[in-house]
Amino acid sequence: MEYFFQQLINGITLGSVYALIALGYTMVYGIIQLINFAHGEFFAAGGYVGVIFMSYLLSQGAPAWVCLSGSLILAMAYCAMLAMAVEKVAYKPLRSSSRLSVLLSALGMSIFLQNGLMLTQGVYDRAYPTELTQGGFEFGTVMLSYMQLFIVSLTAFLLVALNFLVFKTRIGKAMRSTAQDKIMSALVGINSNRIISLTFAIGAGLAAAAGIMVGLYYGSVRYDMGFVPGIKAFAAAVLGGIGNITGAMIGGFIIGMVEIFAAGYISGEYKDVFAFLILIGVLYFRPSGIMGENVDDTRV
Amino acid sequence: MKRSIMTALLVSAILMLSAGMVFAKTLKVGTMGPLTGPYAADGNDIKNGVLTAVEVVKANGGIPGFDDIEVMPQDTACEPRQAVATANKLINEEANGVVGAYCSSATLPASEVLDEESIIMITPASTNEKVTSRGLPYMFRMCGRDDDQGFIALKFMQEKLGAKSVYIVDDKTAYSQGLADGVEKMCEAAGIKVLGHEHVNQGDKDFSAILTKVKTSNPDVFYMSMQNSATGALMLIQAKRMGIKAARLAQDAVYHPQLMEIAKDAAEDVYLTFGYIDNNAPAYKEFYAKYQPKHGEPGAYSGYAYDSAMAYFKAVKAAGATDPEKVKAELMKLDYDGATKHIKFKPNGDSGSNYIIRKVENGKFINYWNPATGKLY
Repeated sequence: MEYFFQQLINGITLGSVYALIALGYTMVYGIIQLINFAHGEFFAAGGYVGVIFMSYLLSQGAPAWVCLSGSLILAMAYCAMLAMAVEKVAYKPLRSSSRLSVLLSALGMSIFLQNGLMLTQGVYDRAYPTELTQGGFEFGTVMLSYMQLFIVSLTAFLLVALNFLVFKTRIGKAMRSTAQDKIMSALVGINSNRIISLTFAIGAGLAAAAGIMVGLYYGSVRYDMGFVPGIKAFAAAVLGGIGNITGAMIGGFIIGMVEIFAAGYISGEYKDVFAFLILIGVLYFRPSGIMGENVDDTRV
Repeated sequence: MKRSIMTALLVSAILMLSAGMVFAKTLKVGTMGPLTGPYAADGNDIKNGVLTAVEVVKANGGIPGFDDIEVMPQDTACEPRQAVATANKLINEEANGVVGAYCSSATLPASEVLDEESIIMITPASTNEKVTSRGLPYMFRMCGRDDDQGFIALKFMQEKLGAKSVYIVDDKTAYSQGLADGVEKMCEAAGIKVLGHEHVNQGDKDFSAILTKVKTSNPDVFYMSMQNSATGALMLIQAKRMGIKAARLAQDAVYHPQLMEIAKDAAEDVYLTFGYIDNNAPAYKEFYAKYQPKHGEPGAYSGYAYDSAMAYFKAVKAAGATDPEKVKAELMKLDYDGATKHIKFKPNGDSGSNYIIRKVENGKFINYWNPATGKLY
């Protein structure tokens, strides 16, 4: 039983990370029907901005909470701006062309950003400070580290904040209406370009937060770290119903849990197999994903 | 009269120039290793080791008969297909010799291609048995072999740790899984209980599920066979957080300064099998003095790459030519103390294994246990 609880804690932690990244995919897809392949790179960039700033703050003798929140805010802001720039350069000019060209542009952007990170930051792993991540609670043999607690609670906070933003504020309303019908919402006075830009920014900000948490929790970042979690989070977004925010959260937690439990009870070799089997299974019976609505393509 | 002198001078000048051009020869050495991707650190170590060797040779007057030594670094990315492509590229660019590659899975196919063109290849780092067991005439190896390495790991578990049980984790490459499978077989034969043998994927960061398994089965030894030191470091951090008490034993690919840089105190007291290097040997000191200021602390295989290149240069110098048969004959004759080990090639191209147990202590690798004597250093 203790084994089960330990794996449950592991699963929730991993799931939180996937959920945060998946949100970016799903929000961008929801608003302009683009699968933003460069999204994993925002995650990696966030991890790097975090480690650079955090090491600086620590060397200046700043207390732990200043280091954490300071680098978190800076990384999120940086990645939000990066995402807006990417959107302006690579996606906006192609908005009226076919969806395939935007998709290719996204793939290209992903390669460009990853290599940019490699050239500027080097090919070696960059270590995160470990001073902040020591310790935890012990319940018998079950360990709950402070870091896991931090990841899960920060994710929960960000998810609640995002839900509030999207469903309770004017900006959220504008986002939802732009997702439904760009032309109509423009007619009622919504600046859809600004809303799209903002969506990119929020998604990338969440990915940056995930990047910092991954760096802190696992201990290091590397320029190509965005690729694998990017794919997993994309799968999570599709599983939950791409375009649906609640779905992306649920999808992220499911993929994380399935991976951990498959590795814990069957074999580590096959954990990805099971994660993607679940995906295929769900899509077979519910092609639009768990929370996805059946929307016809004429809407766009 | 005046004009004819001028013409004669001009003609002779042109002749001399062109003669100079004909005799100006460059020795071309290719390096192969992953310069991008997850193992880029190790590929760059190899490249830097070779560059250091060139620097040393040039400072000592170069190689007679050659005006210059050109290094052609190639990126294999540790992928078999790209390794073959880079081997072909080196052939087209008329490389005389090659130092590389890093991953066994890259060295194996690349060496087939290079051998067809009779190009000498010295691998500083590929430990898989097959590298030299295929009978390729121009394939040499500066490092040890995995069957020897696995045996030393077993010997250490039995004799020093007195282990009764082991849990093995590898990350599924030709090298890491090959080694782990070998260790598993040897442990079973020697009566050490293998409580589990798990595999993780390339690019994974989260090992919590598997480490929970390790912790629950409570082995005496936790054996990690990772292709990459950074991955090993991440696993050690999580193992410490999880509270795994088993002795942790890793292998040569985890042996890299990166391990302590990332894992910090989680890497303390980790044991590793690695070739014996005498840090106080004059040849090693010479290498270190040249390498460290430019490229930082030497990686696991920087020294072996340096020795591979030096051995090749010595052989070319002795042969006075790049003809592969002559160079091979000279390589076979080599018998000297290199930076990392005593260099004397066996007929199959191996230069012998000298694995010992090292340990991380206060953030540094130290020589720990000598399997030949069964004593601590």
